[in-house]
Amino acid sequence: MRWVRLVPEFTSVGAHFDREVLSALDKAGVAADLVLTRVERTGPVAETVVFARITSGLAPGTEVDPPETGRCIRFDGQQRLTGKHRLADLVRDTGIDGVVAIGATLDLDTVIDTGGFVRPEYRDGDLVLLVERAAGGVFQPVEVEQPHECCAGSH
Amino acid sequence: MSHHHHDGHEHHHHEVEPVEGSWQDPADDRPLAVARRRFLAGLGVAVGGAALASAGTGQAAATPQSTNQWGVPQRWYAGDHHIHTQYSGDGQYPISAQVAKAKKHGLDWMVITDHGGVAHQKFSIDQVTPDIEKARKANRDILVYQGLEWNIPGAEHATVFLPPDRNTVDILRAFEAGYDGGILSTPVANGGKGLIARATSADGEPYALAALRYLESQVLSGRTEIALMFANHPSRRGVDSPHELRGWRDAAPGVAVGMEGAPGHQAAGIPKSAGGGGRARGYYDSSPGADSHPGYAPTEAENPYRTYGGFDWMTAKVGGLWDSMLAEGRPWWITSTSDVHQVFDDTLTPGAQDYEKTGSRGAPVDSGVKQGGFGDFFPGYYSQTVVGSRSKSYVDIMRGLQAGKVIAVHGRLIDGLDLRVRALGEGDNRGVTLGGRTFVKRGGSIEVTVEVTGAGGPNFAGAVPKLAKLDLISGPVTGPVVDRDTLSAPGTTVVKSFEVTKNRARFTYVFRDVAGPFYLRVRGTDGNQLTPEGNPVMDVIGDADPWADLWFYANPVFVDVV
Repeated sequence: MRWVRLVPEFTSVGAHFDREVLSALDKAGVAADLVLTRVERTGPVAETVVFARITSGLAPGTEVDPPETGRCIRFDGQQRLTGKHRLADLVRDTGIDGVVAIGATLDLDTVIDTGGFVRPEYRDGDLVLLVERAAGGVFQPVEVEQPHECCAGSH
Repeated sequence: MSHHHHDGHEHHHHEVEPVEGSWQDPADDRPLAVARRRFLAGLGVAVGGAALASAGTGQAAATPQSTNQWGVPQRWYAGDHHIHTQYSGDGQYPISAQVAKAKKHGLDWMVITDHGGVAHQKFSIDQVTPDIEKARKANRDILVYQGLEWNIPGAEHATVFLPPDRNTVDILRAFEAGYDGGILSTPVANGGKGLIARATSADGEPYALAALRYLESQVLSGRTEIALMFANHPSRRGVDSPHELRGWRDAAPGVAVGMEGAPGHQAAGIPKSAGGGGRARGYYDSSPGADSHPGYAPTEAENPYRTYGGFDWMTAKVGGLWDSMLAEGRPWWITSTSDVHQVFDDTLTPGAQDYEKTGSRGAPVDSGVKQGGFGDFFPGYYSQTVVGSRSKSYVDIMRGLQAGKVIAVHGRLIDGLDLRVRALGEGDNRGVTLGGRTFVKRGGSIEVTVEVTGAGGPNFAGAVPKLAKLDLISGPVTGPVVDRDTLSAPGTTVVKSFEVTKNRARFTYVFRDVAGPFYLRVRGTDGNQLTPEGNPVMDVIGDADPWADLWFYANPVFVDVV
């Protein structure tokens, strides 16, 4: 398994960006079991770059050392997270190693309403999902798929 | 220099019998009326940009001086500096309709702030201008400012506005063409300038500073008497970094004077189970993006991208970003606005006109169905920015805003606030009020008196809110920070909480043995939603009834030591 770093040309953001990245990898016939995005602020304008752990296929991009951090857009078991899940099941069935709540403690029976969109944080090889309270006594990931877009998203 | 001769302005200071510090006029039959109110003791003369500029260094003044002196006759004027109309691509209401609503809800002043952008600059301004003029003629009792919701290059949105004058529209038009982040980032082929990567990308930051200097130059050259900028929904996307906020203020201290302490869209968090949209209060449901400041990361302890008791994280967090600016001695004021685009439970929906081609959505369409998914309140209905001013004139109201004589109030939590901060013994014995600077001899005492008047009637949800707790917050003024991205003020704390049991209450607190410069500010709450420490609770997405969690925040007073 190798890690590659890619710099997509997409101007989309958030979930749109993720979809474009993943579909581009799929179209290129590259299998990646772990895909991260990371914002790099080395130039005058911040850039969102992609780190992908390649399991098969001819990977585009530059081969790099394993990254230490990132926002994970693909991980093992991700497709199983379609709705509400007990925390215990979420950790058992996916590559997510831990779930942390803002200002609250969780137990194994805590229900996480994923909304089918889960972007855990990659921290030194672990995937950690940050959640917060949501309506109806459940928790939901801090990053939602479609945050409010002002001015119809034109800016 | 002796503090007994601090500013040579004593001749202005006729003693005025303090009267109730209220902006509600019981004789006025309009709900939450704020017009025709009695004189209010406890607000000083508008000192304007010169004093603000001199106060911007964060150092104790070499020459003792006080600003916003207490006890000068003034009145309170409620308003809203963030209002969209059919001339925003995501808006829908005619200007006349917004003015009527603002009046109905007791506002004295309002600012029309449609989004900047190619279509707005090209097509909307020429429609907005005559509509505002018509509205002014038809409504002599409310001030209607022409403004803009500026896409700050490299950052969030901001209200920019000027008083009506012969050059107002020209200045606004040129400002938008030259400096709107939407226009700067739009490719030339699409009518923009194509000069920056994104409206929020960091390559826009120099344009923001140039823009504010341009506005200030319009003031200095006499083309307008005053121009103001308030940063809107500053934490929503995390793109207003601390160094940008400081940079704006420093670039044009008479123009860039503050930010929304509370964003609009306060109805957006009404639960679906209660017929609401079930979004985030303030539409604060975002998370870090490419142009977000990395210091604003959500952690186990907090989420800067959410509101807290309806207020922006920068303002709501004690010892947070706002306090870090105040701890520098940097005047920076907070407001609260409606940001009204589409109103909760209204039946009107946007017109079908092509905004990009015409700069207007056209007339709204009545769907006949209550739109529970809409997340806003009409101007004055929930959020009010209350300003102390010596007269209800376009320039004076702006001077009051510029001087920080401002209280941000939600849901009619209070009807009046009279803050007096003065030296006991040697120093400024008369004292100052909101946004002011006072002074005391080193080792002396500073007395804070807060007189608060609770709601004298129901708010627009039909309930009479009850103020339960007042917090006095204070921290040392430690001068300019070295790291311009500093976002905390560890020395700032709640020094005293007062339980409020009466509708009209007076509290006193004395800072003794004052060793160095400091600042203080006041906030209050209905006490419905508190952390164990007594702070506002992070609003839950999809479960935030704005009427069940009310706060007000008053702007600070700075104390120098001589």
